[in-house]
Amino acid sequence: MFQRVLIANRGEIALRIIRACQRLKIQTVAAYSEADADSSHLEQADRRVCIGPAKSADSYLNMAAILQAAEQTDCSAIHPGYGFLAENALFAELCTQAKMTFIGPPAGAMRRLGDKATARQTMRQAGLPIIPGSAGTLSGWEEARALAEAIGFPVLLKATAGGGGKGMRRVDAAEDIEAKYREAALEAEKAFGNGALYLEKYIVDGRHIEFQVLADAYGNVVHLGERECSAQRRHQKLVEESPSPVVDARMRNELGAKICSALAQVGYRNAGTVEFFRDAGGQLYFMEMNTRLQVEHPVTEMVTGRDLVVEQIRIAANEPLGFTQADVALQGHAIECRINAEDPAQDFRPHPGLVAKFVPPESGNGGDGARVRVDTHVQPGYRIPPYYDSMLAKLVVWGKTREAAREGMLRALGSFTVTGVKTTIPVHLQIMQDPRFAAGDYDTGFIGRLLH
Amino acid sequence: MAKVLLHPLGRPIAEVVEEKTYRSNLEQMEALNQLLAARREEVRRGWGEEYVERVHAKGKLTTWERIELLKDPGSAVFPINTFVNYGITFGQPPRTSPAAGVITAFVRVHGRLTVVIANDNTVASGSWWPMTPEKIERAQEVALRLKLPVLYLVDCSGLFLPEQAKTFPGKLGAGYIFKMNSLLSASGVPQIAGVLGDCIAGGGYMPIISDKLFMTEVAYMVIAGAALVKGAKSQHITSLDIGGADIHVHLSNCADERVPDDRAMIARIRQEVAKLPGSAADYYRHAFAPAPPRFAPQEINGLLPVDHRVVYDVREIIARLVDSSLFWEILPHTGEEMLTGIARLHGLPVGIIANNQRLTQHPERRDRTRPGGILYREGIAKMSQFSRSCDADGIPILWLQDISGFDIGLEAEKHGLLGYGSNLLYTNSTNTVPMLTVLLRKASGAGYYAMTGRPYEPIVQLSTPVTRLAVMEGRTLAIGTFHSKLDDNFQILATDPKERAEIEAGMKEVEARIDADMDPYKSARQMDTDEIVAVHELRDYLTTLVEMCYQSIGYRRIKNPRIWSMHDLHVLTEKV
Repeated sequence: MFQRVLIANRGEIALRIIRACQRLKIQTVAAYSEADADSSHLEQADRRVCIGPAKSADSYLNMAAILQAAEQTDCSAIHPGYGFLAENALFAELCTQAKMTFIGPPAGAMRRLGDKATARQTMRQAGLPIIPGSAGTLSGWEEARALAEAIGFPVLLKATAGGGGKGMRRVDAAEDIEAKYREAALEAEKAFGNGALYLEKYIVDGRHIEFQVLADAYGNVVHLGERECSAQRRHQKLVEESPSPVVDARMRNELGAKICSALAQVGYRNAGTVEFFRDAGGQLYFMEMNTRLQVEHPVTEMVTGRDLVVEQIRIAANEPLGFTQADVALQGHAIECRINAEDPAQDFRPHPGLVAKFVPPESGNGGDGARVRVDTHVQPGYRIPPYYDSMLAKLVVWGKTREAAREGMLRALGSFTVTGVKTTIPVHLQIMQDPRFAAGDYDTGFIGRLLH
Repeated sequence: MAKVLLHPLGRPIAEVVEEKTYRSNLEQMEALNQLLAARREEVRRGWGEEYVERVHAKGKLTTWERIELLKDPGSAVFPINTFVNYGITFGQPPRTSPAAGVITAFVRVHGRLTVVIANDNTVASGSWWPMTPEKIERAQEVALRLKLPVLYLVDCSGLFLPEQAKTFPGKLGAGYIFKMNSLLSASGVPQIAGVLGDCIAGGGYMPIISDKLFMTEVAYMVIAGAALVKGAKSQHITSLDIGGADIHVHLSNCADERVPDDRAMIARIRQEVAKLPGSAADYYRHAFAPAPPRFAPQEINGLLPVDHRVVYDVREIIARLVDSSLFWEILPHTGEEMLTGIARLHGLPVGIIANNQRLTQHPERRDRTRPGGILYREGIAKMSQFSRSCDADGIPILWLQDISGFDIGLEAEKHGLLGYGSNLLYTNSTNTVPMLTVLLRKASGAGYYAMTGRPYEPIVQLSTPVTRLAVMEGRTLAIGTFHSKLDDNFQILATDPKERAEIEAGMKEVEARIDADMDPYKSARQMDTDEIVAVHELRDYLTTLVEMCYQSIGYRRIKNPRIWSMHDLHVLTEKV
């Protein structure tokens, strides 16, 4: 196993990775920006290296600085966490040539599956249903209109290099498509340097369901079931749960098997997430693949009993998975609430500042056999830097049933005290108490309707 | 009509030898086969169970366990030089070195034949004994000549230092292994190394010159281990900290990747082999799939008399070695004491040159016959021409030796056998086609050289349990030594009983000593032959070797059968 790993990330995920390294008896080097110099996670690392000023581009996205830090501290590998460089194929390539093992998929697999149009083709060939739409990128708005008329409006124009909703337009009528196409292409060109678009049917009131996979260097691929992430606002997930209330064992096994064989074929390695959209009729369509660890990975950990970060590191060290699909069993139910420093009253605007009081619910076994887990780097007196995302903590509750998990989450949220900054806790309380959520009957439009 | 028409060869065993003779041959051969099996097992056990447990206690697999995992499931492994150092000891207290502490074998991985060189970690932690470098270099030589991938499974604690003078300085000393590594690399031969334990000092170069190098989590490569560093620099540090994967994979880039353990290592190496070009053997088979002989190879055990003086029909041996027992005999009416022709082994064309043991007609004095297994002028000329044609056509040559030597005497000298023989030596020395030699039984005198014995660099030379490799038989040397005291019938001339007894004892002593020297295990121990193989195993060894000859493309001439020189030879000597 690696002797020393550099963590090229911050906040709760940096701490999460340090914990996994400690389980594997790996020394850790925390790379941090000047803005994070007093972050509590640095104390947990064996060593720390400042990689630059607050701005992400100068620190957490500064590939040369991160690699140099790894070299100087005699590291063997780099964990990118999520966000920042986690899906940057160039960085993975630079790590490879520096012999710093990139704890994630190989650059080639990342490129191939990170490109949305290519990923759609790959999955279609593997027999996975994909949302009706273009086979690859579009040649222009004329092609988009012809295709949209064939599959029916509304449709979604999406940037092939996209993410975070950039370069994406919903089109409801044929006469709008030319203008929307130009807008989206221009936005994509600006944001990603690649204006190529593809088109797919826009599914109204769908559900976001994603499968967690793990693949080792020897062609073994397993899935760890699915997560339901339909509780979103503007494509930002707020609540995730596993398993999904609308996926049964048969569907899970069938889709899971197809996903695994597709990823084995393309030589995928390490952790990854395959995202699906479920239409009102119950049909699941492949959307895209995330070639990294997801924020919401803890719900999967809670129901499968597997430490995904440990598995990522083991896979990166060329260890075989050590278990098969038959060994994966989903037990109970887990819900995660993202506790962000945001003001729900002001359209979830980030609310950085000084966290005066921070008292999370006690981790461990709560009432009713529920288990509480809090992933956070925040301590009382922590000043949230304005440069990065606004997440304070991930509150995860496991219960024997979905209802037990939901009730446990309500209790946990009730005992979570944060003062000094506004948080999403009140919204989560609202969600947990909503009868539609309680019934598992919600889709991606749910939060929008709930709050307005 | 340049067709290649092979004809059925051989007869059912009942028609070839009498039941009684067959049984008697079989009984004697089986005893020798059992001895061979027992000795192989003895070597395979290394230093025994205690050392196997030591290896397992370290979380490692034994070398044979590694090879079993490495090979394609169900495929056979073909070791060479198993008996190097067999029966001798080194140092005080005396220690044996089974297989010279390294296993060299031909192993099929993802359908490709590879040359595996694997330190035996149950023998002094895989140290290099006297002859270990030579054994490794021999395997490398095979790989270099046939352009076959080499897989090194390194687990070696360095030279066995009490005997360093025998392994370090000479031309074929340990350093020559790295020269071979370099030549292999320079010739484009793929080399993949897995370090699965110790890899100290010079041993480090062997993996590092390889194209791909993987290390397990317990492996380390160091110029000097912890003990020497402590001595020279007063630093207390473990060898793993000095040269483990964290150093060599991530910091020094002397290795490519780390793998957790032996099993993962083998899986990783197999993945890399799968990336190499596949075998061209099937390409060169034309329409011919591998086919078993129509007569069982096992029958050779009862066909080949253990007593080297007893005659047999070599055609019946060939019929039990080659595909479908089909053979195209070339120049059948010339030099009948030799047999030359084309057969297929696993569908691949091979030229076979063998000694006919039977009495044959004297070519000029038709009323006279002469014994087979001896080289006369026509037979030598026939071999030379056939050998040259095979070389021209790129057909690998299989030499099946059971040869007493060159004919001697006035007629032999008048015929100029020295000249014809030299021409044959020249031909064989300059052939570029791969040659394989089997010392079926006798390999005596210059006949051993003329028929591509070990000094003439066959790719591999195999012996059988009845092989007798020597300049001459013990009895012959005894007669030569005491010839002035013998009459024309080799009877002792002296009448004094005491003197007769002395001569008799002297002759017996010479005969016994030479016979002991002709023990195949002795030549195998000295690496004068590459492996001892039971006669019923020859077919499998030879088909594998022939596939090895045809596996790689582009490094030697291989003509298609339409344009063989063999057809010219045929049309010039036969009424076609």
